[in-house]
Amino acid sequence: MTDRAPSSDIRKAIETRLARRHRAERRFQFYGMAAIALAVLFLVVLLSSIIVQALPAFTQHTLTLPVRVEAELADPQDDRSEESLRAGSYSRMLQVALQDQFPSVTGRSELRALFGLYSSVNSAKLLNQVVENPDIIGETIEFSMPISDDADLYLKGLTTDERFVDRNEPLTLSGAEGEVTLTASDPVFSAFIEEVNDTLRARIQTVSDRAATAQARADRAETEDARQAAAAGAERARREADQLEERLQAREALSLSPEMASLLVRLGGGVVQITQLEPGGRVARGEVVIAPERDGVYQDWTEWRIETPAAGRRIGDVQIVFARALDDRGLVENGLNLILFTNADSREPELAGVRGALIGSVLTMIITMLMAVPIGVGTAIYLEEFAPRNRLSEIIEVNINNLAAVPSIVFGLLGLAVFINTFGMPRSAPLVGGFVLALMTLPTVIISSRAALKAVPPSIREAALGVGASRMQAVFGHVLPMAMPGILTGSIIGLAQALGETAPLLMIGMVAFIADPPTMGVAGFTEPATVMPVQIFLWSSGAERAFEAKTAAAILILLALMVLFNAAAIYLRSRFERRW
Amino acid sequence: MQISLFTVLILMVLTAVGFLVGRRRAYAVSSGHASRLHSLPSYYGYYIALWTGVPAFILLAIYGMFGNDAVNALAGAQMHRAGEPVHAQFEQALSDDEDIARLEAELATLENRRIYAREAIERDSELVPAAGEYPAQSPAERQQALSSEINRLAAEREARAEVLAGQVEAQTDDALARAGFVYSRLSDERRELMINDARAIAFGEGVASRETPEINALASAMRPFHEVLRSSMALAALALAIGGLAYARSRISSSFRARNRVEGAISVLLLLASVIAIATTIGIVLSLLFESVRFFSAINWRIDEFLLGTQWSPQIAIREGQVGQTGAFGAVPLFAGTALITVIAMLVAVPVGLFAAIYLSEYASTGVRGWAKPVLEILAGIPTVVYGFFALLTVGPLLRDALLLLGYENAVTQSALAAGLVMGVMIIPFVSSLADDVINAVPQSLRDGAYAMGATKSETVRQVIFPAALPGIVGAVLLAVSRAVGETMIVVMAAGQGANLTANPLESVTTITVQIVMLLTGDQEFDSPKTLSAFALGLVLFVLTLILNVIALRVVQRYREKYD
Amino acid sequence: MTDPQNTAAPAATVYHDQPSANPIKVETRSVSVRYGDTQALHDVSIRIPDRGVTAFIGPSGCGKSTFLRCINRMNDTIDSARVSGSVLIDGEEVNSRAVDPVVLRARVGMVFQKPNPFPKSIYDNVAYGPRIHGLATKREDLDAIVEASLRKAGLWAEVEGRLGMPGTALSGGQQQRLVIARAIAVNPEVILMDEPCSALDPIATARIEELIDELRENYCLIIVTHSMAQAARVSQMTAFFHLGHLVEYGPTEDMFTNPHDARTQDYITGRFG
Ligand SMILES: Nc1ncnc2c1ncn2[C@@H]1O[C@H](COP(=O)(O)OP(=O)(O)O)[C@@H](O)[C@H]1O
Ligand SMILES: [Mg+2]
Repeated sequence: MTDRAPSSDIRKAIETRLARRHRAERRFQFYGMAAIALAVLFLVVLLSSIIVQALPAFTQHTLTLPVRVEAELADPQDDRSEESLRAGSYSRMLQVALQDQFPSVTGRSELRALFGLYSSVNSAKLLNQVVENPDIIGETIEFSMPISDDADLYLKGLTTDERFVDRNEPLTLSGAEGEVTLTASDPVFSAFIEEVNDTLRARIQTVSDRAATAQARADRAETEDARQAAAAGAERARREADQLEERLQAREALSLSPEMASLLVRLGGGVVQITQLEPGGRVARGEVVIAPERDGVYQDWTEWRIETPAAGRRIGDVQIVFARALDDRGLVENGLNLILFTNADSREPELAGVRGALIGSVLTMIITMLMAVPIGVGTAIYLEEFAPRNRLSEIIEVNINNLAAVPSIVFGLLGLAVFINTFGMPRSAPLVGGFVLALMTLPTVIISSRAALKAVPPSIREAALGVGASRMQAVFGHVLPMAMPGILTGSIIGLAQALGETAPLLMIGMVAFIADPPTMGVAGFTEPATVMPVQIFLWSSGAERAFEAKTAAAILILLALMVLFNAAAIYLRSRFERRW
Repeated sequence: MQISLFTVLILMVLTAVGFLVGRRRAYAVSSGHASRLHSLPSYYGYYIALWTGVPAFILLAIYGMFGNDAVNALAGAQMHRAGEPVHAQFEQALSDDEDIARLEAELATLENRRIYAREAIERDSELVPAAGEYPAQSPAERQQALSSEINRLAAEREARAEVLAGQVEAQTDDALARAGFVYSRLSDERRELMINDARAIAFGEGVASRETPEINALASAMRPFHEVLRSSMALAALALAIGGLAYARSRISSSFRARNRVEGAISVLLLLASVIAIATTIGIVLSLLFESVRFFSAINWRIDEFLLGTQWSPQIAIREGQVGQTGAFGAVPLFAGTALITVIAMLVAVPVGLFAAIYLSEYASTGVRGWAKPVLEILAGIPTVVYGFFALLTVGPLLRDALLLLGYENAVTQSALAAGLVMGVMIIPFVSSLADDVINAVPQSLRDGAYAMGATKSETVRQVIFPAALPGIVGAVLLAVSRAVGETMIVVMAAGQGANLTANPLESVTTITVQIVMLLTGDQEFDSPKTLSAFALGLVLFVLTLILNVIALRVVQRYREKYD
Repeated sequence: MTDPQNTAAPAATVYHDQPSANPIKVETRSVSVRYGDTQALHDVSIRIPDRGVTAFIGPSGCGKSTFLRCINRMNDTIDSARVSGSVLIDGEEVNSRAVDPVVLRARVGMVFQKPNPFPKSIYDNVAYGPRIHGLATKREDLDAIVEASLRKAGLWAEVEGRLGMPGTALSGGQQQRLVIARAIAVNPEVILMDEPCSALDPIATARIEELIDELRENYCLIIVTHSMAQAARVSQMTAFFHLGHLVEYGPTEDMFTNPHDARTQDYITGRFG
């Protein structure tokens, strides 16, 4: 039986395949690393994009105006009674104060733009100040309020691209109010006209490209219907391109429309909004927004181009002028946005904060904790220490494992059907929210508590039983304390999960808009409330651009809370962990 | 809060007193020699405390659960009684009124004809037109025409009755009687509303939506019942507590086995705690089944249409007698959307999660494992609403722009792809941690065997570890699928709402969970089929995930047993 | 002839004369192994002849397995293990970077204490090595290798016609022979066996011992055992390990009749272990 093959042959056979096998090995390892890298990359992108989006929400422009608290406005019955004060017209007071800043502004639409710089909700704050301290009636006070979200974003430079160019060619202004004409001997406006024409040309280019692709599609089309549809599209695009081309070629005055960049001229402390430019770039017509000190020739003036077309932003040219002017006069200040933390929800993004949702979350979590932890730990103790090995225990066990994997939204349906419709508990209340989340968290608490109990060595129980303790005494006196760190950690992780849960709470109506935060007390449990994740959901569907940053900021606050929870878990684990 | 804090406080104090009494009593009966007692003295304390506190608190809990309903029912009965004379007047007015009599006669004839038409449909025969009465119509058309005529007349009759009711009301001076009359004529939902408003006025529960003399009358009818019930319950609870204390104290003697009693009570408590898990499941099943049955009966038991229909438009209001009322509840587009997003999510999560798990358990050094595992844990801990926001505002627009660049013109922000991709990422840590457990359960001896044969690491993983771990991995993937199917926030925010029946991942689709949210958020009456359909969807979701979980848990458990 | 005090302070290894006519197959020169901070093996030098059975004996935890795993570099798979010294097979350094453990392990087969068939069919288990190493290009070749290996492992008669059955469905002794068949399917030069019979009943053990006796005609077999009787039955050479030291090495007969070291004597006479 000496049939040993010459080993050198085998070695050769192995070695011929070796390189390929090692390549496969490296490839496989690369896939593994790529998977990890992907996960890390995703986390980094997720967090950094949210941080970047959130940053603008942490600062806020505040408008501070000298407001004269006129007696006839504040106190219509002239008796200083609270009733009378509450009937006062404070929003008028704010309007007057703002109008005082721009005495030349009288047009209706201009005034509307001006008063749009703050939300009228702020007058309630003024009212409260006056009611609290009626002595200020007749005085002039400094009143601060957040500027409107659109102006805020504009001043942060997030929504609008603009450019200021200082010029020194002489420019003649025909009047100091209303419709005016600006005339220069040099073609001072031709650069701007060229810029508008450039965008027009780019538009023509894209439209013609579109026509070309549509035409190509028509030529390639397989069915007659598709061919006709594509051909019609091509024709439409061609016609649009022709029209644009015509406009470009026309030698007539250029009327500025909302689809184009805007042009403003600052001179003599005033601002003129240009509406029409004559060919040649020497003559412009426009409207005075803020009156300059005089008409006539100006040597130094500023060309103010707003590159983002008015159609592409939520703030109009006139409002921009006012916001910029107030900013230049030092009445607007950018500072830390405390409103985010001190206010509850609001329809006005600049006044919306997370306080209500935070209180709602705290109240809900209290209920969840009070329900889930004792019941969960009790169940774990029963199953691990006392349960006889019978059908019931088996069913409970299988049941808990399955419950752990039931989608959270189903718990919401349970809450709606049982707690609200059958037991008649209040909708939108932290009490019900806490119940639902507790039921959802229960399996997590039970499973981790059981693991912690299981990890306590049997010798501890035996020792306790050996000295005559009852089973109950052994469990509560010896086993439970040793399992405590594990139980606490598991419970906190379960609660952190509940803190971030949204879907079941939508079912029980915690999704309503709630402008007043619930009371921080027993009564708060049954008042309508919302919680952080739901607030995030609500804001994320807000139409205003400013809500986007608010949402991201709320997310960061929620994540910070969760980090806090987990840090607590880690701390407790390390603090109480015992070795045996 | 109908239980005053005061009562609760007194009960707590009594319970504490019970404890002290028990301990004192124990010392007393042992005449100072605690060692003669059967149990430690504090057990006697606990024993009495239990007897003092538990029955009283149970009574209060029952009152807390049903007290409001009892007050509502009592006040409602009183309102009915008060309204009876007015109601009699109203009945009289109804029977005296000529319009009503005429309308009812007409309704009766039409109803007869409709029955005749229905019978004709059932017999599948033609209608024999009475001389000159109506032109030839098919029985079905005829029935439909009659139905709408009947609806019209019934509405007319209702309107007339309303007018009469208004007249009767106006003649009544007594506010309470008038309120009782109004109350008794309300539909269930409106009565519910009125009760809520009255409670708001009477007890300051929430804010009343309106305030009318009738509501005020109801509120003042509620108050005395409430007061009486509350004080009698408080007294009863106190009496129970004191009685329990006295009874328990009388039982204490030196041979009394207090410890066994107390421990028995605790173990009952523990058992009750663990039964809550079962109660939850039963609650889920019953509530879903109950509401689903109501939904199915509202769509005439066309469960097949619900499960197989391709048209989902529950926003269409459904009225009594409306033809084709089942057409709008075909859930197939939802199932398809759910499946599409789940598939996309799995295409991301399974390969990445598996490779991550393999890399971490077979290749990574302790250092890499030290930071890569926490990264995955963080991904797992991020709330789904955050993923939804990310999908909506970052991934969705990015995908749309990329597709537009590639020349796909119908690109949308909210698409199955955006939601599926982000959901896949959310599930990566889930898959990887389950797979990690499974792979680590493969005995080291198999790895050693393969290495000793000269296999490379990847050969060992692919040819030995993976086949050995396959059942466990299948279980893990099933659990992940169940997770994806039940995931809500990401799809609500990022998948859109259109009930498109499409396999194109670039379009927006809707899922079971999205529709549940859409149907149940916002204000709507609870009893409409539209709202109830959410529960039917919930039932489908629950059953689906339950099946997946049961299979998965079975498979995983078998697998664990194999290598234990 | 030995001082009992020697048990405390390990002296240099005692080597008996080696009468074997066979050439040296495996040689180690002061091999030491540490797991992290603990040293499991101290300066082990040994020369193991070809075509014969060499037994490693010693109390458990003394480093037998660790040393065995040095020979096919299985210690590479343990992160904390550090091997120093040199291991030569046919005079060729095994620990050198130029040697690919994949190739080395094809030359040095290994059988473990607990039978570890892969969760595959009997056929696939035996064909595993030839497949990954590409030793057979045609199905018939592979069939032939599988049959020959199973025959050599004395399992053919029992599994013939049932080759599709999962390997895990066999009895413990059959599984161990299957694993041996799997190891010899790539025609190794050296076969390492780490307590191959400790999980088996006496009858299965006897079968394996017979098999070992047959295999020694063609292979260099190294077997770890804690049963002295087994070492005496199957091996020609015996090495005694104690606390990570190779205490004594020589022809089995010599070792059992005339141990030089007190520790060897104590162990053989059953005073500890
Ligand atoms: N993977 C390992 N990590 C750390 N220490 C190990 C490892 N394997 C073995 N050891 C230690 O090395 C020593 C020798 O072990 P081993 O070679 O398995 O002994 P034997 O096979 O003779 O019973 C023992 O003290 C053991 O604890
Ligand atoms: Mg060993």
